[in-house]
Parts: sequence; structure tokens; C-alpha cells
Amino acid sequence: MNEFDGVPGLVEVVERHRETTIVVEPERLTDAARYLRDEEGFDFLSDITAVDYLGWGEAGVSGYIGTAGGRDLNAPMTQGYQVVPLAKPQRFAVNYHLLSISERPRRVRLQTWLADGQSVLTVIPVWPTADWHEREAFDLMGITFAEHPNLERILLDDDWEGHPLRKDYPIGGEPVRFSGEA
Amino acid sequence: MALEKPLREHGLKSERLLWPTKGPSRFENEVDDLEQKVGLTTLAKAVAWAQTNSMWPDTFGLACCAIEMMSIVSSRYDIARFGMEPFRGSPRQADLLIVSGRVSHKMAAPLRQIYDQMLEPKWVIAMGACASSGGMFNNYAIVQSVDKIVPVDIYVPGCPPRPEQLVEGIVRLHEAVKAGVPPAYEIRSVAS
Amino acid sequence: MTATASRTTGSPIYEGTRIPSPIPTVLRTPPELEATGDILTVNFGPNHPSTHGVLRLVVDLYGEDVTGLAAVIGYLHTGFEKNMEQKTWWKAIPYAPRIDYVSFQNNEYVFVGAVEKLLEIDVPPKAVWMRTLLAELNRIHSHLVWIGTSALELGAISMFWYAFREREQILDLFELVAGYRMHTRYFQVGGLAEDVPRGFYPEARKFCAWMPKAVDDYETLLTRNKIWLERTEGVGLLSREDAIALGQSGPVLRGSGVDWDLRKAEPYLAYHQVDFRVPVFQTGDVYARYLVHMAEMRESVRIVEQCLDRLERMEGEPWIADDRKVVLPPREELHTSMESLIHHFKIVTEGFRVPEGEVYFPIESPRGELGCYLCSDGGPRPWRVKFRAPSFVALQATATAMTDALIADMIAIVGSLDTVMGEVDR
Repeated sequence: MNEFDGVPGLVEVVERHRETTIVVEPERLTDAARYLRDEEGFDFLSDITAVDYLGWGEAGVSGYIGTAGGRDLNAPMTQGYQVVPLAKPQRFAVNYHLLSISERPRRVRLQTWLADGQSVLTVIPVWPTADWHEREAFDLMGITFAEHPNLERILLDDDWEGHPLRKDYPIGGEPVRFSGEA
Repeated sequence: MALEKPLREHGLKSERLLWPTKGPSRFENEVDDLEQKVGLTTLAKAVAWAQTNSMWPDTFGLACCAIEMMSIVSSRYDIARFGMEPFRGSPRQADLLIVSGRVSHKMAAPLRQIYDQMLEPKWVIAMGACASSGGMFNNYAIVQSVDKIVPVDIYVPGCPPRPEQLVEGIVRLHEAVKAGVPPAYEIRSVAS
Repeated sequence: MTATASRTTGSPIYEGTRIPSPIPTVLRTPPELEATGDILTVNFGPNHPSTHGVLRLVVDLYGEDVTGLAAVIGYLHTGFEKNMEQKTWWKAIPYAPRIDYVSFQNNEYVFVGAVEKLLEIDVPPKAVWMRTLLAELNRIHSHLVWIGTSALELGAISMFWYAFREREQILDLFELVAGYRMHTRYFQVGGLAEDVPRGFYPEARKFCAWMPKAVDDYETLLTRNKIWLERTEGVGLLSREDAIALGQSGPVLRGSGVDWDLRKAEPYLAYHQVDFRVPVFQTGDVYARYLVHMAEMRESVRIVEQCLDRLERMEGEPWIADDRKVVLPPREELHTSMESLIHHFKIVTEGFRVPEGEVYFPIESPRGELGCYLCSDGGPRPWRVKFRAPSFVALQATATAMTDALIADMIAIVGSLDTVMGEVDR
């Protein structure tokens, strides 16, 4: 954890499930990216994932949690409790999965939180492979990346309206006959 | 043969008359065998037989079903015995369109374009669950059945269908063609 | 780059970088050639016999030289990720193998493994070894499909039948284990769906005895073949720095001289307990990637044999974890135990719940680093599933590798990147 204290725009460092997540402010994202590549040696960008947290926590999760060390239905006084996940800072999270190809391989997740309509600077100058990943995040989630040289739709038709992976976009498709639903 | 008087009194000088002990010639023997060597058929049936025995598919492999379609070309499930191993790259030279795989909305236009470029008569096999009905992908991206775009003759279910299932579908198509069933574009249009 | 210096040897393949700018994935015709008026723009695909599926390349040609290239993808976009959000954790598993439909067990494993990472569940050793065995068989299967189709596109047509002959043997093994040739859905959260059938080990041994001779056959046909060498040597060059900057992994990266394999660097399953080599070649061209594929097939056979050695002694061991919150109880118990009945009911109707969190689980698929990012809200359904597809990233390198290429080289280069459009478009 201490090793990432020098990351520009650092908000917090989270360690869970044996993974490290570095949360930074969106305005300092490219500085943080450059720092991680040059100073920390994360020269490989695996993936850029955008997540939409609209409606997070509204379906209250009750009942037993399925872990190996979790709740035992047979033990007394364990009727299950209402676990509502903590609220997220903004609606969208953009995660950059970084890897350091070296004798001591390390992985880290660079995370930043965006509101709807807020844009973040592209990291193509840092890792050129971000080109299509950012286009996909724009196409399916609607996150704009400023100064991207070619921010067009990549997986859907050019004239498609909407961003399907958002939580307020319906799944689409057709109702199945004889299934009892409308 | 009912003649009023024998042939020799007609003034004919055939060899058989001048040489009464001559047996049937080689040509006459062959004429006798001929009914075992010649089939009588109608033009439609002959054309259907020719069509089924060299129905060349177009390379329209999209997804997982394409891998199973490639394996019917391989030596175990050899479709060369049906005369179908040359998968034509150009739809102008193809008779059969095996839509193998899921068709997204972006791919729907090229699919219709390829179908339109094929020359009549042409047949379509919807291979797999995704081509037949949308499969497990009942969502915004996949066309729910390829018969919304092109008229389909045979639907082959499976996810992906075994090569033998696809061969069964092809054989049934051949039987339908030989029985005189017209291609799908003559009997139905696309589904709505 | 200091971080990679320890994993690379040999001299640089070319100086500097060949990544085009401003757009790294689009090769632009230089303006002086455009001014001649001799540029022909040709559209390859999406329906094309040689593009490994529905890929569209818009190519600018100056005679036979490729001067401009842009790839258009999305013709197989299926909405996997949105669909998986609607299904429970169990029901989402069949979606995973259909993403990369040539190495389906690896895809299944990456999703199931990510769920297990979130659940922090212990998988029994028999399941770990069997999963390793199936993943390696799938690697051989994927490389066979690759060599069959790539050689077919470059004109070595009979390779297709040779490669698919062995592929049928592997699919027979999958059918013996799981009941179906492709998309077996044999991997379950916590282990395997069913026990390993008894006749499997002798059949797998027979295959392992035969396979190295088959690889010898392929190498006899291609490796020292003058035509193959002329078409693949020196074509599609990608230097180490460019490959890493473009996010390449798998055989493309190892063909460019970087010794990076997730099975050795970040071992998962039983890879730290088996002995195998990772082939690395220095020249960074299509021929190097071909050699990597061939050598990997041999190494995979060795891994399968070692897995068989261990598995043959594990008769009667459990094949799935014992956690009743996640795994169905055995059917005999349902008659006697009320708790088992409740567990069974809850798991089948509502689905088990995975604790809240996010993980990124990477494995080495035959194409490179396949990763699954999973976000759970603690409920019975995934909140977000994202697959990091190696082919998606590999296609970004076409523009860089296509510098100084002829149109015939283009087929070789796109083929050597070993792309499967299902995982490019998801």
C-alpha cells in the first residue's frame, strides 16, 4: 500500500480478494497512468472496464451469504440479515487493469469514478492499446474519452441509439411464445 | 407383328431375309439390355437429381456452428460424398447458404446482400439454435431467427448441432428437392 | 523499458516504433501516394473465406502494397455481458464458452474461476487436475483449428484435413467426459459437474501417445517447406516494445521474444505442479508465431500426460467442493436431510449468492491473456461481467504489423494473430 502513495490524484487504495485497487480522481487520471507506467513499471494495459452502478443496493440482499466461511443455516440465531451494499461515489466506474511484465509480475486496478456525462482523458498516449477498449466503453456504456482520436461506435451499428450496457437500457429481444409472459 | 404377307414378299432385302439362320446382332443384343441401362424420367426429376448431387455451399460461417460446419468438410463426416465439399467464396457460384451462427443486427444487412447475390435456385439452411430462433440470446443484439431476413428451407437445431445432425439436415433437403418441393423463396416470404 | 528487460533476449526486431498515429489501430495512406490517384480501396469481408469469421477490413492498395488499413468489427456482437447480468450465476455459465468458441473450456474456466475467487471457495484436487487436463486438451484443439485454417488460407490445403483428424480425436475425448463435443458446460462453480467417467484415462493415454507423431506430420509438411517459409518469414513484424504497448499476449508476444506466459508467471490450476517449457522465438514474424503454436502443442501433450499420472491415482475422490451453500448436495441426501432439501431448493430456484466485490481473473488461453472481470452486489445474479478477450486486442495490432505488407501477406498476418471473432465482438 505504501508503494502507491506517490500516485497523482490518489483518493484511496483498496485491497480485497488479493487484488489492489488504486482509486484516483478523474482529472488526474492520465498523470496517474503515466506515473504507474514510468515509475512503477506497469507497461501493460490488460483491459478497460466500465461499470454502471445505477440501482446499486436497491434490491436488498437478504438471507445467507454463500461463502465457505459463511453463515450456517443450522446454527441458532442466524436467520439471515439484510445486507445492503454501501453506496458508490458516482454512477460510473472506469477500471484500468494494469500488469507489469517483469520477473516479479504485479497487477493493479486503476479506478476512477465518473458521473453521467462526465468525460475522462484518453490514455492512448500512455498505452496505445487503449484505443479499442475506450471505444467499446463509449459504445456500450456511453462514457466519453476526451481527445480520443477516433471515438466512434465499434461493436454496434453506427446509427444505433443508446448505450446497451447501461442499467436503464432494456435487454431487448422478443417475448417467448407459450412462456406465460406477455 | 401383324402383317398380311411375310416380309420376303414385300420386296425387302434385309440381311435377315437373305440369311435366315443369322442370330441377333450385337446391336440388337444391346437394345435388349438397354432397358436396364436407360432410365426414363421427367426433366424436373433429372434436374433435381443434378441439383442435389452438387449443391455447393457458400462460406457463411459466423460463430460456433461454423466450427462444426468445418468439421463436416473434414475426413470423418466427409460431405464430399454428397458433392458438397467446395465451399464457394463467391455467392454467385453457390447454391446453398448454411447460416451457421448467431446473426447480429449489424450482420443482417450483409446476410441479405449475400442471399440476394446468389442465383436461383438457392436454398437456405438455418444451422443451430441461434439461426433458427435466436438461441439463448434473446436480447437487443441478435436477430431472433434468420427467417426474418431470408426464407429458410431447413432448420437444424442444436447448440452447436453435431456434424451428423447437419448432414441429416442436408440429406433431408436433398430429399425434399428430389421430391419436388420448391425452394423456400417460392412458397413463403420472410417471417414478420 | 526496464520492466520488460528481464524477460526479453536477443536483438530488437526493428528500431523505434511502427505504431501508426494519430490512431494506433488505423494505417493511413501517406498523402504523397494518395495524390497519385492510384489508390484502390477494397473491402474485405465480413463474409470472406479467409478472415476467420466476420471481420471487415477496409484496405487501401497501391498496386499490391497495402498502404492503408482499418478494421471494422462488431458483426458478431451478441450482448453476452448484458445477457449474463440477467441470469443467475449458474445459468450464466453456458454463455461463457460461446464467446471464444474454439477454446471453450478455457472460457468456461475463466468465468467459473472468477466466481470461485469471489466466493473464496476451495476446489478439490481432483477437479483442479481434471480442469488442467481439459484446458490443455482445449489448447491443442484450438491450435489445431488454427493451423488447419491458417494453412488452408495460405494454400496448404491438405493441412486442414490432417489437423481436423486429430481434432476429431480430441472432441471424442470431450464427448466421453462431458457428453458433448463442444461447449461442454462441464465446469461448475466449486469443481466439475460430474465425476470423470471410467473409460476416459485409457483413451486419453492413447491420444497422448499418438499426438506427438501427428505434430511431427504437420512439421514435416510445413516447417521446412520452401513455400511456407517464403510466405511467412519476415512477414508481419512486431517488435517487443510495440507488442507490449499494444497489449499483445500469448503466442504473438512469445513470437516477438518476450518470455511471458501466465501459466508460469501467475500460475493457476495445477500449472505450478507440472513440468513444461514455454516456447519463445525472437524473430517476431508470422513464422515465429507458427513455431510457437507447434511447440505449444507438444508441451500441452506433456502436461496432459502428467495430469493423467495424477488423476489415475485419484479414483473415488470428490470432484466438487463440499459447500452446500453453493454446490448441490448429493441426491441420496435429499431423502434424509431437511437442510439438504432446503439448500437444493434455494440453489435451484433463487441461485446461490456471491459476496459483494469485484475481481479480475486472468488465465492463459490459447490466444493470450483471457480475463474475466466480475462485479457482484451480493445477490444471485452478476452485476457486471466483462471478458478481456485476447483476440480483441490482437486485432488492434494488424495496422502495426501490416507495415510494408503485400496483399497476400495480409492474409498471413491476420491469420497469425489467431483471432476468433466471437470473443472480439462478444
